[in-house]
Amino acid sequence: MYFRRCTVIWQAPIITTVTNNMFDFLALPFMQRALLAGIITAVLVGWVGVYVVSRRMSFIGEGIANASLTGVALALLAGWAPLPVAILVSLLTAAAIFIIERRTVIASDAAVGILCTSGLALGVILLRFFQGYQPELVSFLFGNILSIKISDLVVTEVFGVIVFLLLAFFTRQLTFMTIDPEGGYLHGLSRWGYDLLLYSVTAVTVVLSIKLLGVILVSALLVIPSSISKLFSSSFRSFRRNGILLSVVIVVFGLFLSYWLNLPSGATIVLFGATLFALASAAHLFIRNQ
Amino acid sequence: MTQSTPIIEVSNLNKTYQKQTVLEDISFAVSSGSVLAIIGPNGAGKSTLVKILLGLETPTHGTVLIDGQKPQVARERIGYVPQRFTFDRTVPITVHEFLMLAACEEKEHTRTSMVDRALQEVGLPNIADHQLGALSGGQFQRVMIARAILHHKDILILDEPATGIDVAAEKTIYDFIRKLNEERGVTVLLISHELDIVFSFATQVICLNKRLVCHGVPKQVITKDVLQEMYGHLAGAYHHHCDK
Repeated sequence: MYFRRCTVIWQAPIITTVTNNMFDFLALPFMQRALLAGIITAVLVGWVGVYVVSRRMSFIGEGIANASLTGVALALLAGWAPLPVAILVSLLTAAAIFIIERRTVIASDAAVGILCTSGLALGVILLRFFQGYQPELVSFLFGNILSIKISDLVVTEVFGVIVFLLLAFFTRQLTFMTIDPEGGYLHGLSRWGYDLLLYSVTAVTVVLSIKLLGVILVSALLVIPSSISKLFSSSFRSFRRNGILLSVVIVVFGLFLSYWLNLPSGATIVLFGATLFALASAAHLFIRNQ
Repeated sequence: MTQSTPIIEVSNLNKTYQKQTVLEDISFAVSSGSVLAIIGPNGAGKSTLVKILLGLETPTHGTVLIDGQKPQVARERIGYVPQRFTFDRTVPITVHEFLMLAACEEKEHTRTSMVDRALQEVGLPNIADHQLGALSGGQFQRVMIARAILHHKDILILDEPATGIDVAAEKTIYDFIRKLNEERGVTVLLISHELDIVFSFATQVICLNKRLVCHGVPKQVITKDVLQEMYGHLAGAYHHHCDK
């Protein structure tokens, strides 16, 4: 008994020291900015992802992210801040996808495929006129939340609050038009207005998340948290709530892991999320077969 | 309930898709408080007609008025039960949540009591917490009817509401629709392939085969010749319903 108490007394300072060291990085300003931007985008991505997964339009996230490269390239050539220009280009892309879907016989996935690869190609051509190494461009391609500047954080906060308020204010309408568009229309909702709203908030959310994950990986966070949530939710409310919570958990713990293991933040976040998804799927299968 | 005032007026309606005529010169009126059955073979334009009445499609030519208004304006006065609801059954949403989406503009407790009352009326009082995707075909169809009657609607359009459900559930559905028509004066438009239902249930019928084949009281207008015109060599399957 005495020995055990001594052991505990002896171990305690070590644990405290290790814990302190493990979380020392939270005092670093760049890490604080990264966490704040990460949590804001995680909430939005988790929320929008619930609609994206329910509508089976996961491809749109990757498409818009690719197309936004044109905005990044334009901004870099003109010497402007990349994030607002990328947001503008992504909004135009979302509107174009929306119009093609509804005004032509082209299916949604084909519209996304054509517009977004064209956007990516245009971005690559524009970047050809660029001389030298561009760290900003690399961080957009592969994500580097740790390099987020105060100006980027301000843009993320402003657009994040706007998207959050839109999602909160129009939750019922967006859910109605996702579950039953015909029924929503017959209950007085605009047939096109709320779809266009969802496409727009998805576009802005995707671009805000590019700093976190990069153009190539961003669609993963749109899909993984809501897919895990879908496995264990019994109502749409819990589906949405769990999707948001899981998204925050994946981003925060992914960031911590990337710092501790000295790995790229975007790829670590996605792999951590994918691991959670694999475990959740296995648990779901096990529960179902019981 | 008076049956003289037309609540739906369709005049010279034409609809073409990519140069193919789907509806040709359709004109009819539906009296307020009546039950109108719409019958016709597959591809006769029944669903297109319903979509135009709901304002989901626009006519190529002609006019459709719901109580003097365009369908797009009057759409909130119409309850609609589709034949097939294209819902992803893997999306987790409860029956209560689904119905609450439609119970708008009310306070939370009023909306909840509206939902409970509607479920009670369709004979499903204990399924509010069930997942929508886990319901049987008959339960699902009754939930759709519950949604259609959540608010007071002047018109109820049902597109083959008894498809894929058992006889007992079918009777419950038709008894309830009859009650809505008789007690609340709701005008009912029913698409059905079942002539038994049309004869026992409808006060008026329109027979459709891209154009209007007949319009009137079912017993008077549905003849062997009419069935022949609509169903061709398959009309024999329906002849036992006709006196003439």
